Order: sequence, then C-alpha cells, then structure tokens
Amino acid sequence: VTERSEVESRDPAESAGSGGPLLTRREVIRSAALVGGTMAVAGAGVITARTAGATPDPTGEQTVRDLTVLDNVPAEVDEDVLLRMQRDLVKAMAKPVEERSWIMVIDTRKCVGCHACTLACVAENNLPPGVVYRPVVTEEFGEYPNVQLRFTPRPCMQCDEPPCVPVCPVNATWKRPDGIVAIDYDKCIGCRYCLTACPYGARTSDFGESYVAGVAEGADATEESVFGAQAPWMEQPSHEYGKAWERGDHASPEGNARKCHFCLHRLEVGQLPKCATSCIGRATYFGDANDPDSLVTELITQNNVQTLLPHKGTKPRVYYIV
Amino acid sequence: VSVVAPERPSVADEPPVASYAPWRRALWGVFAVSLVLGLVGVWLRLVEGHLPAGYGSYVPWGLWIAVYFHGVGIAAGALAVAAIGYLLGWRGFVTRQSLRIATIVVAASVAPALLSVGLDLGRMERAWRIIVAPSFTSMMAFNTWTYLALLALCAGIWWLSYRPDRGWLKPLLVLAMLLIVMVPSQSGAFFGVVDAKPYWHSALLPILLFVSAMTAGAAVLLLVRALVADTGGDAGRRESYPALRILRTVVLVGIALYFVLEFAEFSIGLWNPQAGAPELDLVLTGPYWWVFWIVHVLLGGVVPFALLLLRSPRAWVVAGGLVGVTFVSSRLNVLIPGQAVGELRGLQEAFVHPRLDYVYNATAMEYLVALFAVALGMAIVYIGLRLSSMIEQRLSNEGDER
Repeated sequence: VTERSEVESRDPAESAGSGGPLLTRREVIRSAALVGGTMAVAGAGVITARTAGATPDPTGEQTVRDLTVLDNVPAEVDEDVLLRMQRDLVKAMAKPVEERSWIMVIDTRKCVGCHACTLACVAENNLPPGVVYRPVVTEEFGEYPNVQLRFTPRPCMQCDEPPCVPVCPVNATWKRPDGIVAIDYDKCIGCRYCLTACPYGARTSDFGESYVAGVAEGADATEESVFGAQAPWMEQPSHEYGKAWERGDHASPEGNARKCHFCLHRLEVGQLPKCATSCIGRATYFGDANDPDSLVTELITQNNVQTLLPHKGTKPRVYYIV
Repeated sequence: VSVVAPERPSVADEPPVASYAPWRRALWGVFAVSLVLGLVGVWLRLVEGHLPAGYGSYVPWGLWIAVYFHGVGIAAGALAVAAIGYLLGWRGFVTRQSLRIATIVVAASVAPALLSVGLDLGRMERAWRIIVAPSFTSMMAFNTWTYLALLALCAGIWWLSYRPDRGWLKPLLVLAMLLIVMVPSQSGAFFGVVDAKPYWHSALLPILLFVSAMTAGAAVLLLVRALVADTGGDAGRRESYPALRILRTVVLVGIALYFVLEFAEFSIGLWNPQAGAPELDLVLTGPYWWVFWIVHVLLGGVVPFALLLLRSPRAWVVAGGLVGVTFVSSRLNVLIPGQAVGELRGLQEAFVHPRLDYVYNATAMEYLVALFAVALGMAIVYIGLRLSSMIEQRLSNEGDER
C-alpha cells in the first residue's frame, strides 16, 4: 500500500469532500435502520437478561429430604447447640428448597481466633494454596496495655443482592432459592469479574497451585507416596455442589472462581457446615431463618446483630453478634 | 444535512517533506525481539498455566487486562477519526484507502487485545460461552459482543471499500460511530459499575476512557499513516500531510482533555475533607509512582505534547508512537490501584499467601505475553497493508484489461 495508490484510488464523486450532501436520502434511511436496529437488539438483550428470573435449580417436592441422621438421638433439654442446629437442619430439609432460608450467625464475643474453621473448611473442600473460603480477620484496637482483639470470621455472605452474580458474563453463578449463591464450575470461564465485584473479597480464584508440587523432587518411592504428588489424600476429590471434583489435568474447579457455599453438599445429607461443627467455642451458628423456632432465628431476634459493610446494600445472610 | 468541505489546495501547495519516519526499519528489530520474547511468554502461559503470573485473588486483573482495554481503545479511536474524516470529507481522509488503513489498525489492536484477555481467562477453552450463552447483565458480555460487532463491521467496511458504492458504505460508517462511542465508554463502565471498588465507581470513568481511546487511537493512526506515506515517496508524503495535521490536532486536544479530566477526577479525592484516598496515594506516591509521573505524565503527556507543538511531521510521528505505547499506563493507573485497596481491613493478613495479596507486580511472563501482543499487532498491520496493496493492484490490472 502506498500513498500513490491512495491518490489513484480516490473517487471524488463518492466522497463528501466533493461538495455533495453528507448522506443521500437512501443512506440516511439505511443509517437510521442500522443504528436503530443495533440499539434495539442491544436493548432487548439487556432487558431479557435483567428480567430473566428462573434459576437452574430444581424446586418443589423433588427437593424434599427425609433425613434420618438424628432418629436415634432423642432430644434433650440443654443439649449441645450443634445437636439443636442439626435438628433444625433436618426439619428444614424436609421442606422444599424454596421454603428454606439459610443464614449463618457468628458470635464474635465467643470467637477466640483459633482459625479452626478456616482449616476445617480447607480440608473439607480440598482447597489448594491461595484459595480460602473462610479466613478469620484479626483486628487490634488500642495501645498497650489497653489492647483489644476482635476476630471476624468471613465466609461468603450469600448476599440477597449479590454483586457477584450480575457481572458474570456466562450465567455461571446465581442465587439459589434457599439463599445460597452457587457457582457452576463447568460453566465458569475464569474471568474473575466476580472477584472484583465482591466487596468482602469472599471469592478467590483457583490458579492450579498444589501443596505438594515439587515436594517429592529427589524423594524415594516411599517418601513420594506419603508426601508427593501421588499422596493418597491428594487423590480425594472435593464434593462441592454434590459432585466429585477430581484434581489434576487442569480439571475444574482449577481456573474457576471459588467461594464458600455453606457446605451445600453436607446440608443435603443432614450435616452442618464444617465451620459450624469445627468451631471450638460454638461461635458459629447455622440454620433456617424461615423457621421461627430455629436457633438462628432466636439468635438474630434476641441479640444485637450486625452485617458487614451494610452500606453496600448487598443484604448479607451472615450476621454477627457483637 | 449537507456539509461542504473547505476549498482543497492542490497537492503541490504542500511543502515537500523528507521522510516522516527515517527510523522505520528499526521497527523490524522491535518486531523480531517482541515476537521471539513474546513466543517464550505464550509458551510459558500455555505450559505452566497461571502459575508464573503475578495476579491473584485480591488483585485479579493485571497487565494483560490493561493491554486488552488499551487495544480496544486504540481500535475505537483510529476508526473514529477515519470514519468522521471520510463522512465529513476532511482532507487526507476522503479516500477509501484511508478507511482501509483504519480498519487494519482496528484488527491489529482488537486481535491482540482479545488474545491478551483470552490468555488471562482461567478456562480460556470456554470463552465461546460468552458468544452462545451470554448474560447481558454483565458489562463483560456486552463488551465482548460489541468488540466482535466492531470487527465484523470493519470487515464489512473493508470489503465494501473495494466495490462500487451502492449506498452501504456510509451507513456502515454511521453505525461504526455508534460502536466507536460504545466500545471505550463501555470499557469505563466495565469498571465503573463495580461498587466494591470506590476508585472505579465513578461516572467520569467512561468519559476518561473514551478520551484516552480517541487520543491513543489517533496517535497510532498517525504513526501508521506516516509509515504508509513514506512508502509512497514525496507524492505520498504530500498527500498524507493534511491527514497527519488533523491527527496531530486530535492527539493534542486529546492529551490536553485527558489530563484536564484526570485532574478533575483526582481533585475530588484529594480535596475530599471527609476521607483519604488511598488509591490516589498509591498512584501518586506509591511503589509505582514512576508509572504515573514518568510514563504517563512525562512520556505520555508533556513530551508528546511538546513534540506535537513543533512544525515537524517527524516529531509528530514520534509523539504518536509515544502516546500509542505510554497511554497503556492510563489503563494501568485505573486498573491496579482500584484493586489494591480492600474494603475489609486485615483481610490480607487473615490467610497469608502470595495470591491473597493487595500488592501486584507483573511478572516476566506477563511482560513477555504483552510483547507478543505488540508483535501480533505489528504483524497484522504489515500483512493487512500488503494484502490491501495486492488487492488494489489486482483490481487495477483487471480494470486495465477491460
């Protein structure tokens, strides 16, 4: 291409520079049709996306669970709160999913910052390095000797107005009827837009890291079988969302956004979230807010509770007793 | 509506000019180095995945996303000037060849941009889902569709530019104007809608990114037009001179406007009596202060502005190249500081890992892949111009035979 060819290819009759009208009547009509059509299609796309209400989850009777986990454990007065919450869980699971409303209550007055919930969660979900669902934030106030520590476990808030959901470009994350925000690992493209949208930093990306990568280099067969990439515990799949997620060969959830899901896979079989059962101070409570007799309903109605960053308007489902 | 172009002086009225870019052969060296190093980066990315990358979960987007938004901005800006110039009959823009050069610049900037963002995806093999199952509540899906529409539109403009006019070329250019406004503005909206990041959550951001896109796009078009003009000898240079002057003006005004808008944005944060602005502190005095003061202000503002004020087209070309490269810093200075300040105090210390850190340093792999994006863009410009020349030659020969 040379400017000489530009000189030769000039066609003054077709350019506006010739002194003719900017656009002929026919071109004006075509321009209006193209611009109007494009804007109409774009508008329809946005409106359709914003008004689509159905979630991909099944609802109704097929979601009712007749769980027998506590059939042989009679209820007692002043029984451990874990048993009380598990009874609440069994009761809630006997309802269709759309009639449950899962919430978590964390009593910060009891939390001692032991991080047991963080690690139990890592073990439960086979989380790789750099992925964490429930860190415990430690804040220090005052000056020596008048120092105070405050511990704030931070699971996913399962917001009722989740900012992470609408930013997903492929509908890979959504709000379930029971209030939990779920991710479809098989759809997620790993763009990480949802990570930036969460004001709580509750989503982390699985970059494919491994706790044992390189550990077995130079080791003998015995050592490698215990500590190496083939260590038996590494072969255990994660069971998030009720599916076995084998690790390796760039399989999902590697490359995906990940976050706390209130241990949905455990709820389905009558088990409380791992963070609740592992809390040494019984500071984490879980249950159905739609049940007026549940422990969590009792706690949020009888105590001074707060949510994190309420000014963000996300309407979290995790309450903190302060 | 009727617009009459100003009286056009003859080509001979323009002063004869020496080569616009006597250093242009050095671009082969830049291309070769970028290609070789870039291929190493792409190979690393494909073999090692995201492990050698510096971004994490608290700063999820890094250099590649800045390159992505810079690329689509250049595309919009270059096409904007060419399309407006063609429609209004600006001197130097009235030929179809000038449109073709702009469409080549669009392809050469959007393709590397999409490559950059594709390599940034955790599951890039699923990128097609944005096309077949998009959610238009997400600005990302909206953006992707608009970019692809822009590419398709440019392909249409390219094709029509070789054919007898049947009244579709200008309507397509009018439609292009809509997309040209949408593409960079949406880039700003992409960040602006994120309420979780106060630094991004500003209505001015789409306008800032629009202005930076027009500036960088005009700058890159100035560079490419000058390189093309040089291949046409004195006649080519004289013919292109009016176009370069217009592009010079656009870049000059763009630089000035961008810095005025940026000052407006910064001043709100800096003079706010209620709260500090940690993101601005990072930009102005943080570890990467030099990206703002040296790359952005000095090399992207002061130096090119001064060069453009000179009467030498050679200086304008250098300024175009500078702005085309350094304006990526305007993207970086939006992107990184916005993520580097968390809403929850103490989160970084709650679970310690390099991926859970608010400090981001681009790694060698990220720089190498960015170099590959540059090489890809240069290759597309070269191949596009050669292809364009071949088609013109063939059409010319066919015309002679008839």
